Amino acid sequence: MSNLYFIIPELFISLSVMALLVLGVFKNNSSKIIFYLSCLIILVSLAINLNINITQTIFLFNNSYLVDQLSLFIKSIIMISAFFVMFCSYNYVRVNNILKIEYPILILCSLLGMLVMISSNDLIVFYIGLELQSLALYVLASFNRDNILSSESGLKYFVLSALSSGLLLYGCSLIYGFSNSTNFNEISQNFNFEYGVIFGMVFVIVGLAFKISAVPFHMWAPDVYQGSPTSVTVLFAILPKIAALTVFIKFLYGPFINLFEEWQAIIIFLSVASMILGAVAAIGQKNLKRLIAYSSISHMGYALAGLTTGTNQGIQSSIIYLIIYLIMNLAFFSCLFMLKRKDKFYENIEDLSGLSKKHPILALSFLIILFSLAGIPPLAGFFAKFYIFMAVIQKEMYFLAIVGLLATVIAAFYYLRVIKIIYFDPEQEKFDTAMSLGLKLTLILSTSAILMYFLNPNFLNKYITNILVI
Amino acid sequence: MPAHAFFFYIFSLIAIVSAIMVTTSKNTVHSVFFLILDFISISCLFILIGAEFLGMIMLIVYVGAVAVLFLFVVMMLNVAQQKNQWFGAATGSKHIPVGMIVSLIIFFELLIVIGGWKLKPDLSNDFINLSTTNITNTHSIGNVLYTDYIHLFQLSGMILLVAMIGAIVLTFRQRSGLKRQSYIRQISREKNDGVELVDVKNKEGVKIDV
Repeated sequence: MSNLYFIIPELFISLSVMALLVLGVFKNNSSKIIFYLSCLIILVSLAINLNINITQTIFLFNNSYLVDQLSLFIKSIIMISAFFVMFCSYNYVRVNNILKIEYPILILCSLLGMLVMISSNDLIVFYIGLELQSLALYVLASFNRDNILSSESGLKYFVLSALSSGLLLYGCSLIYGFSNSTNFNEISQNFNFEYGVIFGMVFVIVGLAFKISAVPFHMWAPDVYQGSPTSVTVLFAILPKIAALTVFIKFLYGPFINLFEEWQAIIIFLSVASMILGAVAAIGQKNLKRLIAYSSISHMGYALAGLTTGTNQGIQSSIIYLIIYLIMNLAFFSCLFMLKRKDKFYENIEDLSGLSKKHPILALSFLIILFSLAGIPPLAGFFAKFYIFMAVIQKEMYFLAIVGLLATVIAAFYYLRVIKIIYFDPEQEKFDTAMSLGLKLTLILSTSAILMYFLNPNFLNKYITNILVI
Repeated sequence: MPAHAFFFYIFSLIAIVSAIMVTTSKNTVHSVFFLILDFISISCLFILIGAEFLGMIMLIVYVGAVAVLFLFVVMMLNVAQQKNQWFGAATGSKHIPVGMIVSLIIFFELLIVIGGWKLKPDLSNDFINLSTTNITNTHSIGNVLYTDYIHLFQLSGMILLVAMIGAIVLTFRQRSGLKRQSYIRQISREKNDGVELVDVKNKEGVKIDV
């Protein structure tokens, strides 16, 4: 029984999924209640998770499941962001007629999969967690099934993701064949430099890179981001990336730390390619969701750059980058949810034109968020990039730092273009101003977090410093 | 032992060839047949390494259920004769040569890897242990499935639940305007509710409607 103490958040979520399903069956028109109950469930499991105190790494179920500082911290981050994602998107979901009882339940299932992924210490557990989260996300992507774009994005994501899962499984089977175990601890002890293990590792990295949409495995991202309902896009942009990047850290720095030279080159390539492509390809975009898809590709490139260093500082800078990235994305999407006129949501860049005349506050938030995404100094986005570059330069990887800086400059162009359209283009009809409390709260919290971060930049470091991977 | 190796190569060859045929045959029904052949030869491979239970499950589930279901779907959708010109005339798409080159490269890389492969001695020992101990196959799976791997078992259950929810969400439609039969209403219907005596006025008639 004492083992179960450490997985109470997971148990709680899975049991509540079943309870909510039963509630949905027996009570008519219960979508709204279930939506808010799911928010509450996420909060409760967050509270449980914060309550778990550990002094050392805990291994459960024959060492196949592990609870340590990193996984606890990332789990809390994921739950907080899942809560805000649901909290701010209620209005969008309701207006677009996708508020069914299954919608929040699928989000909970996907959350459960991510928690399992983060805590996995075994290839099988990791794969099952990954599949649980992706399967729920496939359905969510095509949730607006009467919309042809949404169906297309769901199908595209499903097919490509299944392909990447196949590659990942192939890699897992190679690793198992050559190291005689699926357990991360045993893999690191068992193998000696054999080509098969390296080969398997590369395949697993490919599968993971697909999940965080790093170049050259990014093809699905823009279409899926554009096609799926915006409330699901914000989920896509935040949660799976945090989970997959954490697994990246645990996978590379756990069983394969001895192969550091081998995978460092691969991660550097992924990082450089993502930064450059994300910056260049976003220039021609007309849809804000496509734009943010390319921007997220480029941001993942920076987060991966922190992983190439092989130091605790690099990993910590990556985690800080992820947290700031998720705050910026939350803020951006809550702005996007505000562009509503007569029950229709707008998502093209030209819809923003002249926004500053009639909605000065919304325009100001857009300004802050876009400056932060571009990495302009006093805002949070600058600090995120700053930590990454610090870590990279300390390992004397100047090439990576230079490419990263160049990509930042290119990316600044399209962020500034959006700002120019907001402030200097001819104005349009007024958008609706009556917004739900959750949306306003999310926007205020996230924007002020971006704005105020420079007052106390050590705020996050306090939590991060006890995360030591190596 | 040579006989063992001989059968292994026979079945693997069939499995690989039929897997290739699944993707290349022009007739979709033929593809499904080759898929069945593929499953069967893989289940033979399982039996060869002494995992009869897995082999039989493979037969029952994949051949008995999944492949037959595929066959039904293919026949229902009426896509049997697809215009598949991948390996035929030059009017096909331009992606194929590129795809072939990439797959050839991956193939040669695999050859290099397999060239450096030394089959681990302890790995083959495991196979022998599996087939010589007194515990049966089913028994040994049962020994670990609900003890060491209980969390995986439960999580797989969650995956199946999500798959079920997803299938229902994406396909189920509440049709409106449908006249449904309700036994309770039919049985509890009384003469007083059903029959009404109407005074028919001259030259106006009665409106018969609910």
